[in-house]
Amino acid sequence: MELKSVMNRYGLKQKIFSIAPLFGLIALVVCFLAAATAKDLNIAYSMKNILNQSVVVAVIATGAIFIYTLGSFDISLGASACVSALVGGMVYNATGSVTLMFLTCVGVAVAIALINSVLASVFNLPVFVTTVAMLSVLNAVVLMLININGTGSQIAVPTDAVAGLNTTWFKLLVLVLFFAVCLFVFDFTKIGRLQKFLGGNPVCAKLSGINNKRLAIIAFVMSGIAVGLGSFLSITYAPTLTKNTASSVGMDVIISIVFGGMPVSGGARSRIYAAVVGAFSMTFLNQIMVMFNLNSGIGQMVKAVIFLIVVSLAMSNQRNKEILPR
Amino acid sequence: MKMTKRLFGIFTIPAAVLIVVLAVSRIQGVALFATEGNWVSFFRSVANVMLVTLALSINLNSGRFDFSIGSVALLSSVISATISIQYQLPVGIMLLLSVVLGAVFGFLSGLVYVIVKLPPIIVGLAMALFYEGLAFAVTGGYGVSFVNNTELVGFPSVRNYSLIIVAALAAVILIFDYTKFGYNYKALLSGQKVSVHIGIREIPNTLICYGIAGALMGAQGFITATNTGTIQMTLNFGSIGAMFAAFLPMFIGGYIGRYINDKIGCLLGAVSMGLVSLAYVRMDVDSSVQQIISALLLVCFLIFLNNEQKFKNLVKQGR
Repeated sequence: MELKSVMNRYGLKQKIFSIAPLFGLIALVVCFLAAATAKDLNIAYSMKNILNQSVVVAVIATGAIFIYTLGSFDISLGASACVSALVGGMVYNATGSVTLMFLTCVGVAVAIALINSVLASVFNLPVFVTTVAMLSVLNAVVLMLININGTGSQIAVPTDAVAGLNTTWFKLLVLVLFFAVCLFVFDFTKIGRLQKFLGGNPVCAKLSGINNKRLAIIAFVMSGIAVGLGSFLSITYAPTLTKNTASSVGMDVIISIVFGGMPVSGGARSRIYAAVVGAFSMTFLNQIMVMFNLNSGIGQMVKAVIFLIVVSLAMSNQRNKEILPR
Repeated sequence: MKMTKRLFGIFTIPAAVLIVVLAVSRIQGVALFATEGNWVSFFRSVANVMLVTLALSINLNSGRFDFSIGSVALLSSVISATISIQYQLPVGIMLLLSVVLGAVFGFLSGLVYVIVKLPPIIVGLAMALFYEGLAFAVTGGYGVSFVNNTELVGFPSVRNYSLIIVAALAAVILIFDYTKFGYNYKALLSGQKVSVHIGIREIPNTLICYGIAGALMGAQGFITATNTGTIQMTLNFGSIGAMFAAFLPMFIGGYIGRYINDKIGCLLGAVSMGLVSLAYVRMDVDSSVQQIISALLLVCFLIFLNNEQKFKNLVKQGR
C-alpha cells in the first residue's frame, strides 16, 4: 500500500511503463544472446548483421519522429528512400563521384519531403492522404527510373566504389551523429518544444501564434535528411538497386516508432530515442525467430502478438477509461 | 435545397468523368465498352472499389483508421476458397462463407481494439500482420489456386457483380440509416464523449462496425479471388495496398453525400473510378502512368475539397 502511494506520488509507475520498450529491447538482446550461445552461433557476425539490418530503419525512423510528433503520419518514406537511392546511383554512374551521389540522395529525399510538406501545409491537405498519393507517384517513378536508366531491372553501383563505406564503424558513426543532431534539435531547442506543443494541442498552439506551417516544413525536412542518409546507407550495403530497394522500410519505420514507445498522437510524450529502440527491437525479434526456424507466417503472427503486448505496456498509462481511443 | 442544384451536385463528377473518358477514348480510336468482357471488367471494378470504400469509411468516419481490412479480405477468401475446393461447394456458398468469415475476422479486430484500448492505427497494424501471417501459415505460403474449377471461376458476370453491389449497398443503407444501431453510430460519430454520457454503448457499436466492415471485405476478397482463380500470399503489410484505391472514391462519395445518401455517394465515386480504370485498360495505359494520374487526381480533388470556399471566393471576385 505504502509502495503504491510512493509510486503514485513520484509518478514512478508512469515512468516505468514509459520505458517498457527499453526493457523490451534489453529482454530481446538477452534472449538473442542466450539462443545464439545455445546454438553455438558466431555472435560478433550476428551482431554485425543486426546492425546492417537495423541502421537504415533506425536512421529514417529517427528523422520521421519529427513528423509523428506533430500527430502526422508519412507512409511514403520507403518509396522516397528507393527513389533517392536510384537517382543517387544514376548520378554515381554518370560522374563517378561518391560525394555527389551522397548529396543527390539527400537532395532528392529533401525535395520529396518538401513537396509533401507544401501540399499538406499550404493546401491544408491531410498529411496521411498526401503521403498515400506520394507513395503511388514514387512507386511509379521507381519503375520509370529503372526502365529508362537501368540494365534489365536494376541500376548497379560498382561494389568497389562503396566497399570502403560498407563498414560497421561508418554506419554506427552516421547513426550516432544523426541521432545526436536530432536529439539536440528535439530536446534542447525551441523547434523541438514547439513541435511537441503543436502535436499535443494544435488549437492551443495556433491560438498562441505558433506558425504550424513552418514547423511542418521543418519536420518534413528533418525526415527528408534522414531518408537521404538511409538511402545512401542502403547503397553502401546493397549497391545493386532494384524496385525492391528499401521497399519494406516504410512500414518498418511505422512499426519501429510505435514499438519504441512513441505515441501515434504525437505531442509532449514523444521521445526521439523511440525510433532507435524500436528499430533494433524489431531486428532482434526477427533474428530470434529465424534462429528458431519459425515459418514466415507463424513468425509474423508471433511478431504481431509481441508488438501488441509491448505497445500495450508502454501506453498503459495513457488510456482513457471512459471512451475508446481514436 | 433546390432539386436542380441537388441533381447537379450528385451527377457532376460521374458525368464529367464519363465525358472526359469517352472523349479521350474517341480521340484514341478506342471504344470503351466494345465487348461483354469490358462490361464485366467495369462492374467488377465498381463492386471492388465500392466494397473497400464502404468498409474503409465505416470506421474512418469515426476516426478509426483500420489498416487490417486488406488482410481480412485475404484471409477470409483463402479459408473460404480452401473449404470450397475441399468439399466441392458451389460458388454461392463460397461467397457466403467469405462474407461470414470476413465478419468474424473484422469482429475479432474490433474485439482486440476494445480490449487493449490502443489507438486503432496500432491495432490495425498488428492485426494486419497477424492475419497475413495466418493466411500464409494456412496455405504454407503457396496461396490457393482453383483456376480449373469451372464452378468457382465461372462467377464473374455483370449480373452477379450487380447483385453484389445492390445487396451490399442496400444492407449498409438499411443498417446505418434505418436502425437504432445506425442512429447510435451517427451520434458517436459526431460527439463521442457526449454520446457515451447519455448512455449509448460505444463498445457494442464499435464491434458491429468492425464486423460489418469485415463482411464487406470478405465479399471483396471473394470477388478478387474468383476473378483470377488464384490467391497469392503476401507478408509484411503487402495487404495494405488494397485500401489505397479507396481514398479517392471515398472523398468523392463524401462530396456527393452532401446532396444524397453518402453510401450512394460512395457508389457513384466507385462508378467514376470504374470508368477511369476501364479507360486505362482499353487505352493500354502503362501501370506507372496510371499510378501517377490516379495520385494526381486524388491530390487535385483534395486541394479542391479543402479550399472550396477560397475557390468560390475567387470565382465571386472574378465576376
